Amino acid sequence: MKTKLNFNTHRLMIMFILALLGGLLIAYKLIFIQFISHQKYTSQAEQNRTQILYQTAPRGQILASGGEVLASNQAAFSLYYLPPFEMPEEKTLMEMAGAVSKNTLKPQKEILQILRKSLKNGKAVLIADNLAPKNIFALAELQNFYPGLYLLEETKRYYPLGASAAHLLGYIGTMEKRAWKQLSGELDYRLNSKIGKSGIEKRYEKELKGRDGGLFLEVNYKGRVTQIMKDNRWRKGADVYTTLLAPVQQAAENAIRNSLTGQGAAVVLDVKTGAVLAMASLPDWDPNIFTPYNDGKNNESKIRIPEYNLAIQGLFPPASTFKTITALAAYENGDLDLKHEDNCTGHIYLNNREFKCWKNHGPHIDFMKGMEQSCDTYFYNLGLKTGSYNIEKMQRKFHFGRKTGIDLPGEKSGNIYGPTKRANLKTYWFGGDTLNLSIGQGELLLTPLQMAVYAAALASKGKIWRPYYIEKIVSPSGKILEEGKSELVEQVKLKDGAFELIHKALKNVVDNATGRAAKIKGIAVYGKTGTAQNPHGDDHGWFLAFAGEENAEPEIAVSVLIQFGKGGGAQAAPAARKIIKAYFDLKHSQSKQEDKNVK
Amino acid sequence: MLNNSSRIKTRKLDWLLIYALIGLCIMGFLTILSAVSGTKEMATVMRTHLIALPVSVAAFIFGWLFNYQIYAEHYRKLYAFVIFLLVAVLAFGIVARGSHSWFRLGGFSFQPAELCRIALIVITAAFLSSRQRYIKTFKTLAIFSMFILPVFALIMMQPDFSSIVVTAPALLILLFVAGVNIYYFVLIIAFALMAGIFPILWTYISLYPEVLDNSVILTWVNSLSFDIIPCLIFSGIILSLFIVGWFILKYFRIIVPFSLVIVLAFSMVGGFFSGYFVNKKIKSYQRKRIEAFLAPSADPKGASYNVLQAQIAMGSGGVLGKGLFSGTQSRLGFVPERHTDFILAILGEENGLLGTLLVLALYILILWRIVLIARNSSDLFGYLLCSGIFAIFFVYMVFNFGMLIGIVPVAGIPLPFISYGGSNLVSSMWAMGLVEGVYYRRLSLI
Repeated sequence: MKTKLNFNTHRLMIMFILALLGGLLIAYKLIFIQFISHQKYTSQAEQNRTQILYQTAPRGQILASGGEVLASNQAAFSLYYLPPFEMPEEKTLMEMAGAVSKNTLKPQKEILQILRKSLKNGKAVLIADNLAPKNIFALAELQNFYPGLYLLEETKRYYPLGASAAHLLGYIGTMEKRAWKQLSGELDYRLNSKIGKSGIEKRYEKELKGRDGGLFLEVNYKGRVTQIMKDNRWRKGADVYTTLLAPVQQAAENAIRNSLTGQGAAVVLDVKTGAVLAMASLPDWDPNIFTPYNDGKNNESKIRIPEYNLAIQGLFPPASTFKTITALAAYENGDLDLKHEDNCTGHIYLNNREFKCWKNHGPHIDFMKGMEQSCDTYFYNLGLKTGSYNIEKMQRKFHFGRKTGIDLPGEKSGNIYGPTKRANLKTYWFGGDTLNLSIGQGELLLTPLQMAVYAAALASKGKIWRPYYIEKIVSPSGKILEEGKSELVEQVKLKDGAFELIHKALKNVVDNATGRAAKIKGIAVYGKTGTAQNPHGDDHGWFLAFAGEENAEPEIAVSVLIQFGKGGGAQAAPAARKIIKAYFDLKHSQSKQEDKNVK
Repeated sequence: MLNNSSRIKTRKLDWLLIYALIGLCIMGFLTILSAVSGTKEMATVMRTHLIALPVSVAAFIFGWLFNYQIYAEHYRKLYAFVIFLLVAVLAFGIVARGSHSWFRLGGFSFQPAELCRIALIVITAAFLSSRQRYIKTFKTLAIFSMFILPVFALIMMQPDFSSIVVTAPALLILLFVAGVNIYYFVLIIAFALMAGIFPILWTYISLYPEVLDNSVILTWVNSLSFDIIPCLIFSGIILSLFIVGWFILKYFRIIVPFSLVIVLAFSMVGGFFSGYFVNKKIKSYQRKRIEAFLAPSADPKGASYNVLQAQIAMGSGGVLGKGLFSGTQSRLGFVPERHTDFILAILGEENGLLGTLLVLALYILILWRIVLIARNSSDLFGYLLCSGIFAIFFVYMVFNFGMLIGIVPVAGIPLPFISYGGSNLVSSMWAMGLVEGVYYRRLSLI
């Protein structure tokens, strides 16, 4: 039996109920923190303890069709400072900065600042990147002396052939703000990532990039590294195989470099596919200057390069090479009488104006002779006979004035010239214009690439190819991501015998006359010279050519332009010869190699 | 029938309470081990804790077997002992962490304030039960204040802010449960509110000065913190408002004793002035804590950093936790005081929501058992003793959990049975022993 106490316990119960309510409130807040906001706090906890050192992945290689490496990578090292557990003494810090300064060429003061900041904020910092392997032994030794220094292996871009194909390959550099905005969301770009700035490097940036690796460091509350959590290996970028033939490319560059002015462009196309076998444009530059080893300076923004790609952006009048169009137009309309002979007196008169021929060719100039000697008088008359409209039509048939559609930024479309075009511009067409048009001078403009496409069309009897330069893109695992495809834009249909006639005439030009400088023993070379008048300076020399084995179909089409080279025959034709020879030398040595292998 | 009931009634221990204590101590032991593993302090901490555990069991048994009713007669001697301890610690104690509050004996340290917290509850319960008949009088309260204030003064001299934070609310609850006149509570609460609200307001204004832009009242409130003269005017206004209020009530025939109104008004003025002086004397780190509580996001690397890191630890633990010894926030030192005041954050990180809710549930269970034992006490002293111990553990729970979840400022208050700290563990176990002692003697007739 319980004794009845003389006190009541209501107030204690009130307090207990308060305790229960307090408990409920606490439980609610605990559930809120640990269950509802779990994700948020987890990521904060991870952020707290993780610091990442990124490792730039090696970019994919760019290769020529024969396997020659055009762009690859070299080992480069980055030096980091991870704040150590024991706070280093001021004296040690000074010594360390001095020693590091010697091997990285950075001023000691700057390094000291970086180290102090790192210790204060408890953050791993990059002291220097792009360090050359020759410094590595010294730096690796410093690593043992001074805890906290950490060498990370990375790579940097390297172009083994130097300036070769520089315009097509492009170059890489630190991205600007605009590129950062575009790219930051897509792949693992960081503010100091290097990206392709032009050419293939830019066009296939995503394929070449690869995936950066990273060292995930676990740090304590002072930012001191306690362990390396994981080491994400980088994934190399995909390799880009181009259709370029490295020896031909180099031959083209050397041919131009060794010409009178050393400036110009050359394009070599595969007649059967439209693949670009070589594309040279000079002046050029060595893309390695953008990715040097660390020399303590940053000059990237100061570098100026001749980025203008003459092969696709340079516009020139086709000059005498255009006489093939005039001839085709006349033949197509039945105005070409092969037996007709003209008398060249060095000039003709039209409406009391004098139009000069470049030379007094004398009497008995028939079609073959006219082409051979590039006699303007003959083609003035032929032009007048067939009419400017027909010549303009023939230009359109061969896609003059239209982009070739090569997958490169900045290609120019050139300019068509003729009465229809004039009519559209609401101006008049004069008889003199017809004469200018017949010999390819005047407002008509072509790029060297367009010229090569035209040459290939002549060679293949009317096949207009869309030029391409990518053979395939292969991922590191061997998967083919993209394959270059030959694309026929149009098959030009002309009267029977038209192409054969042109072939015959152009062969004759090389064998016997103005194009003799392009003649190669054992190879059938077809060509036409051209000298584009340049009101601002020396004339430009053209050479349009295609070539094949003796008694076989032509294989390659070549266009060469020597800027300010004065004459096509003197400067451009020998260059074309070197290029064509390089191609067939390569082909023959390969087939010999194959024969040996078979035996 | 008789057999059965007698068997129940002769049970000597409330086992549920003991199970709860064992559960908390095991969780505490493992969490302390996890929190200090890998640190330099590990050996010292674990050695001390392993010695404190059996000592605390001894303290529990002492509290249980030593008849609590003896304290009722000799509480004055206990009081003298408390004063002696507090004076001695000021005279002979050592300074640790800016506080003069430790005895050092041989290889061990001892914090007398921990013991005094419980002893004060015992003394107060004994005093109040001795004045059962005069419990509602002002005299009781006055005597109580007279003997409690020197103790607080001595504690403040150490200084040991957290002891005051724990003891003062616990004693107030005890007074309330004992049946002190509600009017006096109104006085005390009015005093405390006035003493608390103004320093908080001033701190708030200093944090967010833009609130002054559109508020005449706040601007005036802010001006109070600079000078004594506006304060005097303000006190005058309070007094006259009360007097006018009394006349208005009288006009409506609501008669309230004039003395009550005047005393209330004066207690508010008194509270205001103590707030004023506290605000002048408060230490910068204490003000930082208040600032951190008022504006946790204002300075994430500053004073609120600790609470934020503790919450990150708990939150990242999720429902099931990262597993014992696997808490990164703990292991890498992001959570401060991780084996003492913030130990619950480590427990939450490694054992998850299940762990923290289990601790909370065990605490509620302990409070419930204490309330049941209090209601079954055979005498008033036992009842009040249990109520006081209930109150102090209630306060511990609210302040320690509350600090972590951001509903009270950081006051450096441990969570008994979980946190590391020998003095706290031993005195808490003694308190639990006292409760069991009340249970043991629930049927005895004096």
